Amino acid sequence: MRKVRPTLDDTARMMSETNETVTITIDGRDVEAPAGAYILDVAGELDIDIPSLCAHPGLEPFGACRLCVVEIQKPGWDDWYRQLVTSCLYPVADGLKVWTNSEEVRRNREVVLDLQLARVPKSDVIGDLAREYGVERTSYAERDTDDTCIMCAICVRACDAVGRSAIATLSRGPDKYVDVPDKDACIGCLVCAHLCPTDAIAFVADDNGKRTIWDKQFDLVTDERTGEVLGTPEYLEHVRQRATDRGLRWPDEMKHESAKVKRRTYSSKLARVGRIEEPAE
Amino acid sequence: MNERLYVTPYRCIDCKICEQACSLVKSKRPGVPARPRVQSFNVEGDTDFVLLCLQCDEASCQAVCPVDALVRNPVTGAIEVTDRCIECGFCVVACPFGCMDYDPANNEYIKCDVCYGDPACAKYCPTGALVWAERPLSEAEAEQRSAQRTTDPFSVPAGD
Repeated sequence: MRKVRPTLDDTARMMSETNETVTITIDGRDVEAPAGAYILDVAGELDIDIPSLCAHPGLEPFGACRLCVVEIQKPGWDDWYRQLVTSCLYPVADGLKVWTNSEEVRRNREVVLDLQLARVPKSDVIGDLAREYGVERTSYAERDTDDTCIMCAICVRACDAVGRSAIATLSRGPDKYVDVPDKDACIGCLVCAHLCPTDAIAFVADDNGKRTIWDKQFDLVTDERTGEVLGTPEYLEHVRQRATDRGLRWPDEMKHESAKVKRRTYSSKLARVGRIEEPAE
Repeated sequence: MNERLYVTPYRCIDCKICEQACSLVKSKRPGVPARPRVQSFNVEGDTDFVLLCLQCDEASCQAVCPVDALVRNPVTGAIEVTDRCIECGFCVVACPFGCMDYDPANNEYIKCDVCYGDPACAKYCPTGALVWAERPLSEAEAEQRSAQRTTDPFSVPAGD
């Protein structure tokens, strides 16, 4: 896949449309970056490793996991003064100095991982990251749970992007949890489960033609010819709705047909211009 | 650069060299061929044709993509899948030609991106059904190419 890093934030997009570049200093390296890009993306381009769990190039930055904290210093600040910011949310500006792996940054990530380890003791992802930062055991009281959700809300943002907004965070404070309040809104696309950094969303993709996610069971539509699973009827209907909303032609007879079956449309088109014979049905 | 990937389906002989070339070029790990972006077909035993992404001006895949992950490369004119993809698969359902696909081996959504301006399928196509050039081959040129290449297609020097 090609790497492009346009940012979703409207302000940042407007700024980047002017093709302005700014010069910033990351870990002592002077680099040019598009104005309005986020520090995390600029660092990613330079192969500087900043740990992050809730960031995804296609989704709104959220700043939930707090692992991507970096130290910054703006021009004009006193030399001793630095600020901690989440790099996934902080747009670069001219003269900005960034430290991605300083002692203070590592200490902060340690605290975050210590807390997360108490929250999700069974998560391998958090366990491995914590060990990387020297946290073998949490210094807080462990939750007694198999749940591995770290409340990063990547599933909530993904479902918003998909256009269903089925997933939400419910309740407040320590009782906050992620769930699907309106089960009808879920179309069983599995995007949330695939994007979840800690695999906290349980699902069965295909069990004898049934799919289960968020305690809801779906039927599955399969391609008659190849037997490939195409998705749930709700999912296909959602894509059809999306396509027709955008003015795409979507003949009803093509509605639930697979990509493979649709290839016949192309060959019959060729038959009409006399290139090949019409394939027999 | 005005070069485009010209497809002449009726010159296809269903040799599947384009599919092999695509699989190998797009492979990410040694020994794990990727799913090809180009497909050659044999219909009813006697008609062969090749099909790959048409890079539509008003592309369905782009229109339904919820995160604008499909971006047109201004140099090659091809639509490419970028790392903004959230793997929802809408594009696969929406493409009327079946040219968007999911590659389970590499766990990613794939489409023809003309290899960023150096398509392997066209490089190795023995008959001129696929050519990367400023214009499609004439019948005489295609015949000449077929005569040269059909005997040993993988001997074609790279860059030709």
